[in-house]
Amino acid sequence: MKKSVIARIKEWARLNSLWVLHFNSGACNGCDIEILDALTPRYDVERFGIRLKASPRHADVLLASGPVNHQSAARLKRIYDQMPDPKIVIAVGTCACSGGVFRGCYNIHSGIDSAVPVDAYITGCPVKPEAIIDAVAKLINKVKAA
Amino acid sequence: MNETLQVLFSLFIFPGLFGMVALALLADWVDRKVYARVQQRVGPMYTGKAGILQPLADVIKLLSKEDITPGESSKFMFNFLPLAAFAAVMSAALLLPIGFLNAYNSFPGDLLIMLYLLGLPTIVYFLAGWHSHSYFGIFGGVRAVTQLFAYEVPFLLAVLTPALLTGSWQLSEISRLSASHPLYLLAHLLAFTVAILGLQAKLERVPFDIPEAETEIVGGPTTEYSGRKLAVLHLTHELMFVVGSATLASIFLGGFGSGLWQFPLFLVKTFAIIFILSLMRAAAARMRIDQLIEFSWKYLAPMSCLQFLFIIVLKVLEIA
Repeated sequence: MKKSVIARIKEWARLNSLWVLHFNSGACNGCDIEILDALTPRYDVERFGIRLKASPRHADVLLASGPVNHQSAARLKRIYDQMPDPKIVIAVGTCACSGGVFRGCYNIHSGIDSAVPVDAYITGCPVKPEAIIDAVAKLINKVKAA
Repeated sequence: MNETLQVLFSLFIFPGLFGMVALALLADWVDRKVYARVQQRVGPMYTGKAGILQPLADVIKLLSKEDITPGESSKFMFNFLPLAAFAAVMSAALLLPIGFLNAYNSFPGDLLIMLYLLGLPTIVYFLAGWHSHSYFGIFGGVRAVTQLFAYEVPFLLAVLTPALLTGSWQLSEISRLSASHPLYLLAHLLAFTVAILGLQAKLERVPFDIPEAETEIVGGPTTEYSGRKLAVLHLTHELMFVVGSATLASIFLGGFGSGLWQFPLFLVKTFAIIFILSLMRAAAARMRIDQLIEFSWKYLAPMSCLQFLFIIVLKVLEIA
């Protein structure tokens, strides 16, 4: 199916300007440091138009790290609901994918997808910045193909 | 007929809507590139040539996103305020001493109208934060107004110095006179410095980004804004960046001349000031609100007063 010109412009704009919100739902801070690493001169994700934003209302992508615990689950859900459509959620780190070493603990949900729908999973403890950039590139290709 | 066409051209192409929006996006790109280069990064690269379409992509994306009005906010004001700020800055753009329209809307005292129109977005920020009814919005709005009291007086004094020196309150007259006397720039160098700092504070950029300090209060007044309304606020901010820089260029750097030379001169002088502001943003860290107020009233305000005295002395000795 061929897309209309307006739809193509919208898609181009959306994929070239992903504004990221970072939420720590109980991570050990390892993945969070790696997320910030991706913004530093060595990786510089602003090349692709990616910017770190503080408000969920401004964001397109939710980068969530850490196993979700009972306390952060409701907050994660609320932040997800506050983001305007269309939105993407990326689970960063093994804990965020499955609960990691904390899986089965009395206060732990098993990963981000127990609270909100997830579009991409990045494993690693902590994840490498290259892996985050790779995941974003794959996700962009997936959205383009769809 | 020809006259109508000229007015329409000024209203919609340059210095009207489309030209100004394009320049605002270009200024955003320059700002981000300079900021990135100072940090040893490259900045936007793949959206258009060297990322030049990046700001456009941002705005189109924001325009196409879901537009949320929070249930707690005052609906009418929340939706109306971004447009009010945009309209104020666009009107200010039309007052710039450039283009065909200037023959109609240039009058003695338009400098003050310009400054009021550029001051309006700050009030809109305050009201927007207040009416979004979120803690961060209210804190940001109150900080915006507190900051206004800190920088506005030194900024106004500094901007009125050229008016005193040239003996006119008309933008086109000030720029014409200061273009014919290049040494005027040396005479009010101090005022120029204060005005640059004041403009940076007016634009709420680092080191004066206290109202939207994202590490403290999320996004300040814009916290609850999304989609189209955020796009308009974002554009307003970038427009103010250009119009404010162009105002300073026209009153301190000798304006834009006349005829076909206007456009290149406008680009060079405006973007020189934009470049200075971008370097300042990259080089500094955020001040606290009390530090800013202390800095403005202890240093900036006396500096502008000193400059005022200096000009008066020059006038009395009949040097200028």
